[in-house]
Amino acid sequence: MNANPRDVLSGTHYIDGDVASGFGALAAGCKFIAGYPITPSTEAAEAFARVAYKGNAMFIQMEDELASVSAVVGAVWSGVKSMTITSGPGYSLMMETFGFAAMLETPMVLLNIQRGGPSTGVPTKTGQADIMQSRWGSHGDYEIIAFAPESPQELFDYTVKAFNLAERYRCPVMIMSDECVGHMTEKVVIPAADRIEIEPRRFFKGQPGQYSPFKPDDDLVPPMAKAGDGYNLYISGRAHNDQGMPYTNEEFKLRCIRRLVDKIKKNKEKIIELREENTKDAEVVVVAYGISSRVAVRGIELAREKGIKVGQLRLVTIWPFPDERIAELSQTAKAFVVPEINYGQIAFEVDRCAHGRSNVVLVPHGGAGVHNPDDICDAIEYAVKHKEPLEGVHEYKTRLERKVFEEKMRIAE
Amino acid sequence: MNPLVTAFKKGFERSGIKPSRISMPSDVLFEPEVVKDLGVDYFHVTRGRAIAFGTGLKLANPALRVVAVAGDLMTIGGNHFVHGGRRNMEVLVICINNYVYRKIAGKTAPLVTVKFSPYSTFEEPFNIPHLGNSCGAIYTARWTALHIEELAESIAHGLTKRGLAVIEVLVPGPDYYNGIGTWRDELVKFYHENSEKRDGEMPRNVGITGESKIIVGEFTDKEMPPFIDTYNKQLSAVLKDKFTPYGQTNGGQNG
Repeated sequence: MNANPRDVLSGTHYIDGDVASGFGALAAGCKFIAGYPITPSTEAAEAFARVAYKGNAMFIQMEDELASVSAVVGAVWSGVKSMTITSGPGYSLMMETFGFAAMLETPMVLLNIQRGGPSTGVPTKTGQADIMQSRWGSHGDYEIIAFAPESPQELFDYTVKAFNLAERYRCPVMIMSDECVGHMTEKVVIPAADRIEIEPRRFFKGQPGQYSPFKPDDDLVPPMAKAGDGYNLYISGRAHNDQGMPYTNEEFKLRCIRRLVDKIKKNKEKIIELREENTKDAEVVVVAYGISSRVAVRGIELAREKGIKVGQLRLVTIWPFPDERIAELSQTAKAFVVPEINYGQIAFEVDRCAHGRSNVVLVPHGGAGVHNPDDICDAIEYAVKHKEPLEGVHEYKTRLERKVFEEKMRIAE
Repeated sequence: MNPLVTAFKKGFERSGIKPSRISMPSDVLFEPEVVKDLGVDYFHVTRGRAIAFGTGLKLANPALRVVAVAGDLMTIGGNHFVHGGRRNMEVLVICINNYVYRKIAGKTAPLVTVKFSPYSTFEEPFNIPHLGNSCGAIYTARWTALHIEELAESIAHGLTKRGLAVIEVLVPGPDYYNGIGTWRDELVKFYHENSEKRDGEMPRNVGITGESKIIVGEFTDKEMPPFIDTYNKQLSAVLKDKFTPYGQTNGGQNG
């Protein structure tokens, strides 16, 4: 199914990533966004609020993030595509209801323009430290899908895709962007509506009496119904059977949770998107995502100038994690270098998948800025020269770390 | 049967609204066998978020009627009530005042008055009709589990209100019906002896103090433009012809 022309602001735009995501939501057929302003994600909500009327959609500023995400889940169950937009502290507030959405198999989208944390952190500057929270933030077992776009164009494209996958797998999908990409202004080309593929909601077509809200089709995904259509829905965040009836019995719990996990795990190959460059004969593979993958490009160039064979693996999809591909690469590459704006999140996932076959070097960053490409280059050099297996993830000391550390020493003296 | 559910059934019937058009988000757990019978769509949501969830349901499909059932809502999620009233969201809020949190009898909840905590409680409960009225609710009422007929009337009326209506119901939790006979008798007797009907009473005078009688009745009933109307008015004023009023093409359902 193609997008509705009335929802698509076709043309060439010069906009920032936040705005691109707001326009992407409208193009994807999103009819409802509830949000609460928070830097640096606010422009996305503003953009949608400004153009929502064109698609007969609504934006509402709720009283807080808890209300926003709850209203979004409600709107989805009323039958429309829906999204919320936030950053750091708001993201933490949303976690309980996010798990609720996963439990109810609610197809919704959450845009997180990451900023420096923890707590208030650095509201106006970048961070990539919510990656593990996106995976494990709510209590209990569930699987989600998360993307890490690296440009405003990708924020448009992957917002549309996030809606499509949410509907396809009936699960919450997160767009884990960061302040740099969100506030980066670049050319964004929005194609004509007939060039944008839209996944319509799979509604149950049978009689009300026959509907089971959680009875899966062969692909493990159940069709949906919406409130008001006479299905007499009983929908609960409690562990439930296919009919939605709550059970505390461990066998029912197992069945319920197993499928929440399996419907994503077993479709991993279809979901995961990676970009690879020169990984075939690479001695070192740089694994990066979001803004860090763009910074890494320069670091890789510098390393190549020194004659090192470096490849890049960019995680467009962060969750589910590409275990198999990392494991394959660990057969041929000596080491992985992982630059990320945190003190090691994806680096440990890479290490888990490399299984001791290759070294993993983390290039950390405390946030409020991006890496110095020289550091990435140096970390690559270190990884090539270090032949012996390293115990766990090796943390490379960046120039910034050394500078701050040495200054501290001087003050101490 | 739970007196509240009986009142729901009667109230829904009397309102003339088809149950299939009614959605009931609730942070209070109703067992399926109890609620399925009502013929509505029931959502057992995260604690305190029934009004926020109901806001999403209503805005995404303005043709729905939303009854948000909230437990001790003035603690967790109280802010949604305040802002629902302020923006006059079309939600009928049923605030179930159990005197104690269900299943953990004896623990102090903000709506607790004296008597039902093992060592009593010293905190003042909220005056919910007064709070609702102050925040902009267009209809406020309070009944107990003994006033099923009046409660049903209130629900039927509240469902037709275009805005946030709130009905506080003093009702024993289902556990009291499941074996704690003495508690049930005590509670019913308590309601009988301690409630007094005063329709039209100023909401500020109906606080539950534990010392005076529980005032029940319909306290306020007025008209205010609901959220969707004010939204349409504002956007029409700015966008003129470019704007198609929201909700008149069956909301966002055509997406």
